[in-house]
Amino acid sequence: MKKFLLSTALLSMFAQPAFAATGQANTSAIVMFLVFIAGTMVITWWAARKTQTTSDFYTAGGGITGFQNGLAIAGDYISAASFLGIAGMVYVSGFDGIIYAIGFLFGWPVVMFLVAERLRNLGRFNFADVTAFRLEQTPMRILAASASLLIIALYLIAQMVGAGKLIVLLFGLEYKIAVVIIGTLMMIYVFFGGMTATTWVQIIKAVLMLCGGTLLAALVLMAFNWNPDAMLAEAVSVHPSGAELMAPGAAVSSNPLNALSLGLALAFGTAGLPHILMRFFTVSSAKEARKSVIWASSFIGYFYLLTFIIGFGAVALLVRHPEFYTGLAGDNSNMLTTLIGGTNMAAVHLSNAVGGSLLLGFLAAVTFATIVAVVAGLALAGAAAIAHDLYANVIARGRSTEKQEMRISKISTLVLGVLAVLLGIVFEDQNVAFMVGLAFAIAASANFPVLVLSISWRGCTTRGATIGGFLGLTFATLWVVLSKTVWVDVFGNADPITPFPNPGIFSIPLAFFTIWFFSVTDKSARAVKERDAFTALTVRSQTGIGRSGAQDH
Amino acid sequence: MQDTIVEKVLKHPKYAELVQRRTRVSMVFFTIALVIYSGFILTLAYMPDVFAQPLGEGWTMSVGVLTGILVIFSAVIMISLYVYLSNKIFDPLLEAIVRDVE
Repeated sequence: MKKFLLSTALLSMFAQPAFAATGQANTSAIVMFLVFIAGTMVITWWAARKTQTTSDFYTAGGGITGFQNGLAIAGDYISAASFLGIAGMVYVSGFDGIIYAIGFLFGWPVVMFLVAERLRNLGRFNFADVTAFRLEQTPMRILAASASLLIIALYLIAQMVGAGKLIVLLFGLEYKIAVVIIGTLMMIYVFFGGMTATTWVQIIKAVLMLCGGTLLAALVLMAFNWNPDAMLAEAVSVHPSGAELMAPGAAVSSNPLNALSLGLALAFGTAGLPHILMRFFTVSSAKEARKSVIWASSFIGYFYLLTFIIGFGAVALLVRHPEFYTGLAGDNSNMLTTLIGGTNMAAVHLSNAVGGSLLLGFLAAVTFATIVAVVAGLALAGAAAIAHDLYANVIARGRSTEKQEMRISKISTLVLGVLAVLLGIVFEDQNVAFMVGLAFAIAASANFPVLVLSISWRGCTTRGATIGGFLGLTFATLWVVLSKTVWVDVFGNADPITPFPNPGIFSIPLAFFTIWFFSVTDKSARAVKERDAFTALTVRSQTGIGRSGAQDH
Repeated sequence: MQDTIVEKVLKHPKYAELVQRRTRVSMVFFTIALVIYSGFILTLAYMPDVFAQPLGEGWTMSVGVLTGILVIFSAVIMISLYVYLSNKIFDPLLEAIVRDVE
């Protein structure tokens, strides 16, 4: 019964065909969302006055505290995909939902132990500052910007399409209008308020999400006299999979390599996501960067625990409410296929079941807010890649003024906003389930190896990093395109060319090996200089000395 | 100017100690994290039956679900320990270096 496509399950929340056409307005949801918009507009107005320089725009002037940044990162991470998606996966296949949550969470030890502090000490605005610290500007910036923009585009499309459909369902709006609202709000936050506004929108949203999730989980546990095992027992007794709900699913064991591959991409991808890495430059020091990680991982871990309770609670409790289904059979055998809006709406229905329409409205509003906030963070990282990497450092070769760079980043924000809306509309009926998985695979196979080796291995050279980074990027992309999720599900071919959908197990080692190989064989004068420059890089990355005075790059 | 600062830091007796100890600590933590995470993934991929067992007589919760929850806690605990060590050991070393150099 546990038919579960490992690579796409979480991500398929964005491709539920049943989403459309069930929309109905929920007054409390609309009121609460309008309150949220009003509040965030006041913040944006306040932030706009503080956003004068590029440093303000990209990093909120470095004035965010570790705690605030941790909350904002948690906000970025607890997207609608993780909240509704993981709860939905637990609803469908129990234990398997937990696997994804752990994969996402284990990105954080990797970030903490390998990159966070050194990243903060070396960079100014984004991670390309770090990879280009001792390597050559032009190729490193082009590599970073290509991978970042591809990741951001994939993420944006997935968010826009998923969001559009979700909002159709929760608010009864038309799809196109929903997409335009998200795009417009995002542009306003980023254009006027830059990183300051984006951060505070994330913080507010994270707090609302944590409170809403806590309340929902508490109400669920209360229904079982605060006994989680009683809830699980009830879930197992009503779910068509029965006791299998507590065990790893069939698809995991039938293709273990794919599971491993996915696990690698999830754990190493976080340390290569441009919008997440960018958050580390909003704090004042490496010490605050450390605090950010501890708060972020605590909030994210806590929220995932809530999500498990919500998911299993949905299994146990929703079948008591036939009104949430389009014809629930007496033995619940079709509880997965008949849930209104698809299984990713399990958490939303559950809030209605245990908290009534007020809690439903609250969660719907928070989910909408979540999407807007995540999209704003993506747009900002995209604007940085275009204006800071491509324009200021590649095209103008560092000779542009701050004013010019600022203007380009604002124009980029508008272009990205319009593009996001258009892509959202173009991809409305496309299967976008593979996109977030591909984004993580690219982050883990291109950005992560280049970043880690350039800051921790003396031998790394521009030639090695460029070839390895682009190879990881290309290999991961081609592998996914030729896999079942795109080659068969999107292009309609009969058979996939790659054996399983997740490239990580090959693409990540390939990138590391290629960077190593083309670095050690690099005998150029530039390579010698780059290896020598590693000493200065280490001093700076370990101590942070010289950081405040760094005005170049 | 920049070079002299770098040289000063390099000559500082505590710098080598800082780099060595911090690198060792972060490598140890990273290895532990990797072992826990890959242990979890490998077990569910190759030995799913281990995770499928209930915790005990009268329990519904399986070994896998409990392990998953503990694995989540382990990530947060490791990060907290690392931050604790950084504050306790590395920051004083770092402060000493910065004080002497600047």
